[in-house]
Amino acid sequence: MAQCVQSVQEFVQDSFVPMVAVLCSEEAERVTRKNKLGFAELLRPFCRLTSEGHIRDPNNQMQVVKNLRICVNNVVTSPTPASAASSPALRRLLNDVVLSCQPQEGAATNVITAGDYDLSFSATTPWFEAYRENFLQSMPASDHEFLNHYLACLLVVSSTEAVPVEQFLKLSQEQHRVQHSGEYTNPKWFIPNTLKYYVLLHDMSEGDEQRADSVYEDMKQRYGHQGCYLLKLNSRTSSAEEDEQIPDPWSQYLHRNTLQNQVGRPCVSLLHLLPCLLADGASTSLDSHPLQLDPASSSGSLHALTAANAELKKGSREPEGPAGGHGACLTLNDHDHIRQFIQEFTFRGLLPHVEKNIRQLNDQLVSRKGLSRSLFTATKKWFGGGKVPEKSISEPKSTCGLLYPPEAPELQIRKMADLCFLVQHYELAYSCYHTAKKDFLSDQAMLYAAGALEMAAVSAFLQPGAPRPYPAHYMDTAIQTYRDVCKNMVLAERCALLSAEILKSQGKYSEAATLLIKMTSEDSDLRSALLLEQAAHCFINMRNPMVRKFAFHMILAGHRFSKAGQRRHALRCYCQAMQVYKERGWSLAEDHINFTIGRQSFTLSQPENAVTAFRHILTNDSRQTATQQGAFLREYLYVYKVTASTFLPELPLPCIHSSATRVYFGHERRLAEGEKQAATHVSLDQEYDQDTAAMWGHLEEQLVAAANRGTVPANFQPTQCCLNSQTDNLRHPLAVAEEPIIVEVTFRNPLKVPLALSNLSLLWRFSADGASPSQDRTTDWSAAEVITNEETVSVGARLRLLPHATGQLHIVGVVRALTHSVDVLLSPGQQMLDLMVVRGRQDLKIRGPRLNQTKEDKMLIRHGLDLRLDPIITPPMPLMELLLKQNVSFGCGCVALGHGSFLQRHYGDQPRSPHA
Amino acid sequence: MAVCIAVIAKENYPLYIRSVPTQNELKFHYTVHTSLDVVEEKISAVGKSLGDQRELYLGLLYPTEDYKVYGYVTNSKVKFVIVVDSSNTSLRDNEIRSMFRKLHNSFTDVMCNPFHNPGDTIQSKAFDGIVSGMMVQTASYT
Repeated sequence: MAQCVQSVQEFVQDSFVPMVAVLCSEEAERVTRKNKLGFAELLRPFCRLTSEGHIRDPNNQMQVVKNLRICVNNVVTSPTPASAASSPALRRLLNDVVLSCQPQEGAATNVITAGDYDLSFSATTPWFEAYRENFLQSMPASDHEFLNHYLACLLVVSSTEAVPVEQFLKLSQEQHRVQHSGEYTNPKWFIPNTLKYYVLLHDMSEGDEQRADSVYEDMKQRYGHQGCYLLKLNSRTSSAEEDEQIPDPWSQYLHRNTLQNQVGRPCVSLLHLLPCLLADGASTSLDSHPLQLDPASSSGSLHALTAANAELKKGSREPEGPAGGHGACLTLNDHDHIRQFIQEFTFRGLLPHVEKNIRQLNDQLVSRKGLSRSLFTATKKWFGGGKVPEKSISEPKSTCGLLYPPEAPELQIRKMADLCFLVQHYELAYSCYHTAKKDFLSDQAMLYAAGALEMAAVSAFLQPGAPRPYPAHYMDTAIQTYRDVCKNMVLAERCALLSAEILKSQGKYSEAATLLIKMTSEDSDLRSALLLEQAAHCFINMRNPMVRKFAFHMILAGHRFSKAGQRRHALRCYCQAMQVYKERGWSLAEDHINFTIGRQSFTLSQPENAVTAFRHILTNDSRQTATQQGAFLREYLYVYKVTASTFLPELPLPCIHSSATRVYFGHERRLAEGEKQAATHVSLDQEYDQDTAAMWGHLEEQLVAAANRGTVPANFQPTQCCLNSQTDNLRHPLAVAEEPIIVEVTFRNPLKVPLALSNLSLLWRFSADGASPSQDRTTDWSAAEVITNEETVSVGARLRLLPHATGQLHIVGVVRALTHSVDVLLSPGQQMLDLMVVRGRQDLKIRGPRLNQTKEDKMLIRHGLDLRLDPIITPPMPLMELLLKQNVSFGCGCVALGHGSFLQRHYGDQPRSPHA
Repeated sequence: MAVCIAVIAKENYPLYIRSVPTQNELKFHYTVHTSLDVVEEKISAVGKSLGDQRELYLGLLYPTEDYKVYGYVTNSKVKFVIVVDSSNTSLRDNEIRSMFRKLHNSFTDVMCNPFHNPGDTIQSKAFDGIVSGMMVQTASYT
């Protein structure tokens, strides 16, 4: 698992926070709207308490509540039951969250050296954290646990209201109706008598402050000074203090909302189909009845989407201002007021309320314990120990074992445990969960038991000082029960996320990885991908990093990401895995990754990367089958065709056998023409023969010696008009202007599929005497078309170049069109040309022979110079060709000229051939 | 019997991999490659406790859903990996052990070939034959 921004304790604590509902009067909503925020949104940035609170447990022990966060949400009475967790809307939301969270360029990367592997990968995975946060926030409230049931309700009324007290009464009735009428399954409430906290909202810019104060006094009389609050807002006049820079704490929260907002919109059509079960008119709250206003906004019971609703409606009512436009009417003092308000509410309202309830529940439990024990022993006595739990007869049986009615005594202990957990009394919570677990298990209430197990493990982990080791097996059982018995993947996933994070913090990476891998399944590609990726991170973070497992799971994750439509993440995963497989001989796997990287990069419009990746597949001495290679080649050519419109790409296929390149200077001649025999041993059609070459070289030397009166000049070199790998290529060869240079290039096809080359030409660079080198140019297309049909067959192609000016020539490479030759064979005529033909270049890089003279040469691998392809063009000069009659016999020491032809050329004239 | 047999060099590149042709070869490459992590883990664990006297056979490396992966390391750190179908319950530990021993002997023969360049992939026909004998025949499999 990758590193996270939050610490584990923070993360686990923040996963379960006290929930507070908000009911707002229309006037109050209008006041907060001035800041482009709903009331719940207004409070959101200030929901973490900075100071410590205190609570007394049933034994009257003082307990410190630190760093508490509360969660404030609008009341949404949604007709859809809790199954929304797997709804398409949520899936889309999570998908978008992950999609929008991409690794930043230059973000912190870990570099790990394990064995001989050097890997760099991103240390943090913010997309996973974003996913997890959104996932946990969107957990539907379930009946088997109370953690995300509403503990309290804020009733908010504006001071501008005609009779605020009446409004309070109305809201209070509304809350009571929502909770107790039985019409709504959502939202769920923790305790029958929910804490109601009365908030009077006063707008400083318009209302009469004195009146507000007097109303507040009245409220204090009525509700007690611990049950109400006067919140003064909007003291900033927009014109007066425009220059003042006010931080916008909402932006980070609302950014997410806009995202959710986008998710909310597409589900309009779906939601139109939902039966509108809502009662009409009774509400003064806007947010409690989204269907009245805008059918698009009722998208399930998800808290996450609640926020989206508000956002959506806001968008429909007023055009969205600039991003920094939130809280425009609030001064820093107002921020402090809100902060104070939250603190006051929590410490004076919420915590005492929780404390009171814990005490009550405890009393109930203690009395029931005594009673049930005595009852139990009595029944045991009477009925001879026949243990039949009385409720299970009437209870509906579900797949998860039995279901308790909401007020069942068994649930009271769980309720108490949850309360203790929320106020961070983990010790008491643990013992309650533990007891509850035993009860539920003996009743075979599997869903409840799993829930208790999960929370028992979490609270054991969170206990200060860790008096007992983290019971990982509790979690394992819980996950297994959730998944296999209750078929509730959402709960199983939550459990796995928590457990993995805790295990990770204790260094138990391999357990965490196993857990995460177990949670992957067919039903959600996104989840599987994220979990596999985290598992991969677990493997790499182990004490002995398991590099290959890391890579393998990265590939699996990449695969799932691409199935989930997260191409960027998929590409990243594959690239990270590539580091392990690269150039280590695992060519089949490497090819597969390269192919995938190529495809993904191409679809992400990164054609350069695609080309590089594809090139790797084809340059390797591939072990793939012919059909596979054919597929690779087709993709490759296609990518090339799309990218290479402007410049000449470098094509790797087929391989050029560079050292086998032969260069021939002069007109191509045949050695024998009828009965005439050319007086030379050199021709392109003929293999190089060391002995004859030596003989001719010797002959030439003698000739020069004779011409120079017996001495051979010191700089004498025998003429070479055909250069190959065996000739001496250390000097620039001489070529004559107006005489062709013929280059024979040898291709080798490493693939099992045929390739076709067409329109070959040479690529050269020329610098005229004293001038700077010119750009690369190509000769005209040669008509030659070479098809290398079978594997490893080498085919030569002859390309011609005719210099016109003197200077230094450098032959750079070959340009040609490459075709998948199956297409050529199948499609007739010209059609093939526009199909899969790519023009590309390929450089000729010729290394000289390996040097083997000095000791260093022998120790190292050094190569000599090879200037075969860099001829110097000399001015035109006469050319003589000599043909001998075949049956002429050579006598000793005399040269018998039988039939000779003399050929002289100037500037490309037609050859004249006078007889000698 | 085995569905995939691999010989991995000391530097962890494959010297020889052969798998049953009916199935996806790539999958086996990934499986074998991933198993090397477990091999290394086992080697380091054994090396600490027993010193130089160690068992070459590493036993079951890890079970996947469909396969069981067994490992064996020679003294020169060349790894042998045999992948067996999970459904094949008739194979006992002892038989796997003897398969490895046979493989090792044949591998030694390959290494004794003066024309073999150590570090090159194995192209010996004799070795191929031994491996074929250990692999499931496709005909009987389908």
